[in-house]
Amino acid sequence: MDRRTLLKSVANASMLAAVGRFPAPALAQGASARTLHFVPQANLANFDPIWGTQYVVRNAAAVVWDTLYGFNDKLQPQRQMVESEDLSSDGLTWTFRLRPGLKFHDGEPVLAKDAAASLARWAVRDPMGQMIIAVQQELTAIDDRVFKWVLKKPYPKMLLALGKNNTPMAFIMPQRIAKTDPFKQISEYVGSGPMRFVKDEWVPGAKAVFVKNADYVPRQEPSSWLAGGKEILVDRIEWIVMPDPATASAALQNGEIDWWESPIPDLVPMLRKSPNVRVDIADPLGNIGSFRMNHLFPPFNDVRARRAILMAMSQEDYMRALVGDDTSLWKSLPGYFTPGTPLYTEEGGEILKGPRNLDAAKKLLAESGYSGEPVTCLVAQDQPITKAQGDVTADLLKRLGMNVDFAAIDWGTVGARRAQKTPPGQGGWQMFHTWHAGADCVSPAPYNAIRANGDKAWFGWPNSPLVEAEIAAWFDAEDLDAEKAAIKRVNKAALDFVVYAPTGFFLSYQAWRNNVSGIVKGPLPFFWGVAKSA
Amino acid sequence: MLAYIVRRIIATIPVMGVVAFFVFSLLYIAPGDPAAVIAGEQASPADVERIRQNLGLDHPFMVRFGEWVWQILHGDLGTSIFTNLPVTTMIRQRFEPTLSLMAITLCFTIVVAIPMGVLAAWKVGTWIDRLIMAFAVFGFSVPVFVIGYLLGYIFALELEWLPVQGYTPLSQGLAPWFANLILPAIALSCVYIALIARTTRAAMLEVLQQDYIRTARAKGIGQRSILFVHALKNASVPIVTVIGIGIALLIGGAVVTESVFAIPGLGRLTVDAILRRDYPLIQGLVLLFSFVYVLVNLAIDVLYTLLDPRIRY
Repeated sequence: MDRRTLLKSVANASMLAAVGRFPAPALAQGASARTLHFVPQANLANFDPIWGTQYVVRNAAAVVWDTLYGFNDKLQPQRQMVESEDLSSDGLTWTFRLRPGLKFHDGEPVLAKDAAASLARWAVRDPMGQMIIAVQQELTAIDDRVFKWVLKKPYPKMLLALGKNNTPMAFIMPQRIAKTDPFKQISEYVGSGPMRFVKDEWVPGAKAVFVKNADYVPRQEPSSWLAGGKEILVDRIEWIVMPDPATASAALQNGEIDWWESPIPDLVPMLRKSPNVRVDIADPLGNIGSFRMNHLFPPFNDVRARRAILMAMSQEDYMRALVGDDTSLWKSLPGYFTPGTPLYTEEGGEILKGPRNLDAAKKLLAESGYSGEPVTCLVAQDQPITKAQGDVTADLLKRLGMNVDFAAIDWGTVGARRAQKTPPGQGGWQMFHTWHAGADCVSPAPYNAIRANGDKAWFGWPNSPLVEAEIAAWFDAEDLDAEKAAIKRVNKAALDFVVYAPTGFFLSYQAWRNNVSGIVKGPLPFFWGVAKSA
Repeated sequence: MLAYIVRRIIATIPVMGVVAFFVFSLLYIAPGDPAAVIAGEQASPADVERIRQNLGLDHPFMVRFGEWVWQILHGDLGTSIFTNLPVTTMIRQRFEPTLSLMAITLCFTIVVAIPMGVLAAWKVGTWIDRLIMAFAVFGFSVPVFVIGYLLGYIFALELEWLPVQGYTPLSQGLAPWFANLILPAIALSCVYIALIARTTRAAMLEVLQQDYIRTARAKGIGQRSILFVHALKNASVPIVTVIGIGIALLIGGAVVTESVFAIPGLGRLTVDAILRRDYPLIQGLVLLFSFVYVLVNLAIDVLYTLLDPRIRY
C-alpha cells in the first residue's frame, strides 16, 4: 500500500465514522424493539433464589419462577398459582388447590407434589417458613392439584408468608429440583413463570438473558406488583451488568440500554436533562439506613450508651451524606417500620426527634461507665451507603468524646467480621453499618434486624424479652387493628432498648428511555406490562 | 534453541506451583466470607455456617489446598462458589473480550509509540521532541478511567460515532467487534504509548551516537533507512523488554478499562471474584495470569535472539 492509498483509506474511515456509519447494534430495528435491555442493581452471580437471598437474585427469579400468592401494591397477598384455599375451622389445616393448566418451562405440568417440595425447601431458609416448620405436622400432596399443610398450632400469617416479596420468596420449582438441599445451589433453572432463563447465554458478571414463555397463561386480573396477570410484552430481556454508574448513564442517554434500575443520585440531574430519558422513584418502600451496635461488649452492652447514641445522632446528617440535598429522597425515621405502610408508627420515637442534645448524650454515656476505650467501627468502603454512614458515625462518636477505631474494610470482610462474637480487641467489633429494604421492614415477619432474641438474633445479638413478646403478639394478631397495636408496642420497646440505630428512610431512582412504557414503582422491577416501541 | 524453549517451559511448572501455594495461602488468611455474601443480609449466623460447611470452607488449610492441587492435576480448576459453573467455563466466556482488547491495544501502541519515540530521538531538542515528551508525561499522569470517560463523552455521547459500552464477539462481525473496542483500546494504550515512546527515544538516542550510524550517513544512506533499518533494530532489545513488562501493565489496566466500558472480560471477572471471595475463581485467574506472564517472558527471551544474533542461550 502506498502513502496515497493509505491516506485515502484513513479519510474514508473518518467519513464513515462522521456520518454515523460505524456499526449499529447487531440487532435489526424490529428485533431491537422486541428486546429490552435492562441494567440491574447488581451482578446476577448465582440463580438459586432459595440458596442465595440477594435481592438481585430474587428480582431475576420473579420472572422465571411463579409463586402461589403474590403481594399487590397494597401489600396484600393475592392468589397467583393457587385457584383456591381452605382453612379448617380449628385453623390447623390449610388446603390449597392449584390453577389448572400450569406448566413448567420443560413442558411438564405443575403438580401439587412440586409445590409441596418447593415449600419444604423454602421453609428451611425463610424466617417465616421456619416458624411454620416449628408448628408443622405434615405437608403433603393430596392429588395432582391439591396439597395440604397441617399444623399443630394456627399460623394466621400463612398467606403473607407464601406471598411476600422478601427474600427468600416461596418460588415453585419442579420436585426434582426442589429436593436439593436448601444450603446447596441448584444447577437447573426450570420455572413456570412468564419468562424462561437462557442458561447458555448467561455470563455471570456481564449478562443474563430471559425469553418469553409462550406457554404461560396469565391470570385475568390486572397486574399489581407480584399479583394479577403477568403479561410479557417483549420477546427477550437482556440484563446487562454495568459496574460503573457513569457508563450506565451514558449508555442510557445513548440508547444502548432501555432501563436502569438504580441510577445514583449524583447522575440524576444529568439524566433529567436528556430529552429521551425519564427518571422516577424506583421503590416507594425505599430503604432504612442502620448502624448496629454489639450488645455483647462494652460500651454498648449498656442500654445507656446505646441511648446516648440515639440522643446525639442527627438522621439528617446521615441522609444528606447518603443521598445529597434532594429532600424528596429522604425523611427522618423515628422508628423501625417503613413509612407509608399500614403498620408504620412513631410510638416511642421522641428520642430521635427534635434538636440533638450532645451534652445530655455525653452525660448518659459517662453514666454507662464509658471511659475512652477504643470503639471498633466496621465501615465497608466499597458500598457507598455504608461508607457515607460510617463517615457520619465516626464524626458523631468523636464529638461524643469516644475513641474511634475506624476499620475501613470491604463489604466481604464486614460480612465475615460482624459474625464474630469475640471481644473487639480480638477480631470482634462494636459497630457496623448496613441498610434494609423498606419491603423487609413492613412488619416483623421478614424483619430479622428487629428481632431481639439474643444468640438467635441478627448481628449485635440484642436480647430483650419484652421486644420478643410484642413481636409474638403481632404474629398472633388476627386483624389489622390488633396488629397495629402490637407494632406500636414493638416500636417503643425496640427504641427504648435500642435494638439498632435507624439512620433514616431514603428512596432511590430508576431511569428509562422514553420509548419504554409500563414501568411501575415497586420493591423490585416488574417486567410484566413493560413494552418498548421502535 | 528448541531445547532451551522446552527447558523454560518445564521450568514454569515449579514456578506455577509456588504461585499456586502463595495465592492459596494469601486467600486463606485474607478476611472475608463468601458464605455470608451468599446467605444475604437476612440470613442467620446458623444459615451462614451451614452454607460454609456445604462449600467446604470449614476444612483445614492443608485439606483444602490438597483438594485444589488434586483437581488441578486432573485438569480441573474447580467450580465457582457463586455461579456453580466450572472456573474454566467462566474464564473461557471472558477470554475473548480481554484478548481482543489487549491485542488491539498492543497493536495500536506499537504502531503509535515506536514512530513517536524514533521521531523524538531524531528531532531531539526541537519542539517536536518536546511535544512528544509532553504527551508522554500526559499519558503517564492521567488515569485510564479519566481518558475513558472523556473518549466516551466525545465519541459516543456528543458525536454518536461509537458505542459507549459493551462487547460484540468477533463471530458477529469485524466492524461491530472493532467499534466496541476502539475507545477502550485508545484509553488503555495511553500509558503504554507513553512508556514505550520514552523507552524508544532513549534507546534510539544512544544508538544514533554510534560510529556505524555516522558511517551510514557518510555513505549517503537515507534518513528513513538509517532510523528504521539500522538504528531501530539495534535499539529494539530494550524496547521489546519494556513491551513485555507492559503486558503486566495491560492486565492491570484492563481491570479499570473493562469496568469503564462494561466489557465482560477477565479484568472485571477478577475484581468481582475478589470482592465476593470466590476463592476457586480467584485462584484460577491468578494461575492463568501467571502462566501468561511466564509465556510472555519466554517469548521475549526468544525474540532477543532474533533481534540480536549475539545473544545465545
